[in-house]
Amino acid sequence: MTCSINPGQRRWVFSCWVSALLVALLSVGTALWFRFGHLHGPLAYPVAIVPALPILWVLVETWRYVATEKDEFLRMLLVQCLLGGTGGTLATTTVWGWLEAFRLAPHLAPTMVYAIFWLFVGVSFPVVYARYR
Amino acid sequence: MKNRLKVLRAERDWSQGDLAQRLEVSRQSVNAIETGKFDPSLPLAFKLARLFGKPIEEIFSDEEQQCSESAS
Repeated sequence: MTCSINPGQRRWVFSCWVSALLVALLSVGTALWFRFGHLHGPLAYPVAIVPALPILWVLVETWRYVATEKDEFLRMLLVQCLLGGTGGTLATTTVWGWLEAFRLAPHLAPTMVYAIFWLFVGVSFPVVYARYR
Repeated sequence: MKNRLKVLRAERDWSQGDLAQRLEVSRQSVNAIETGKFDPSLPLAFKLARLFGKPIEEIFSDEEQQCSESAS
C-alpha cells in the first residue's frame, strides 16, 4: 500500500506538527514568563492557557478533516485510529487514577492527557493500516 | 461482501490507480474494496455501478445469501 497523501491529509498532518511545535515553544515561554516575570492577577489566566490554544486548533483541524474528507475509506481509517487513541487514553487514565487514589502512582497532570491521546493514536496507525494491507 | 471489481477492471485494462482516479478516491480505497476488506457506502457503490454500466447486484454479491442458496 503506497502512502501518497491528498491535500486534506497534508493540511491535517501539517497542522499536527505545527501544533506540536507551538505547544512546546509556548509551554517553555509561558513557564519562563511565570517564573521570571512574576505573573499574577487577571493577566495570568489568559497567559496560562496560551499553550492550550494550538491543541484546540489541532482538534478543530482534525474535526474539519474528518468532516471534509471525501474518501470514505481514508476517513474510516482515521476515525478508527482516533478511537484507538480515545480508548487507550481512557483505559490508561482510568487505571492510573485508581493507582493514584491508593497512592501507588504519582500524580498524573491533566495536561499530559493530550500527549497520551496522540501516543495511542500513533500506536493505532500501524495496527489499523495493517488490517487493510 | 464479494465483488467482481477486479474482473471488471481487467476487462477495461484499468489499473487500481485508474479506477481510483475515475471514482475520485484513493488507490488504497479501491484495493480495500476489491479485496473485500472494506464495503463501500451506497453512494460509492452506485458510482461504481454507473462507471461500469451495470446494476449494483452484478458487481457486488451478498455472501450470506450465496451460502443460504447453496445450502438449500
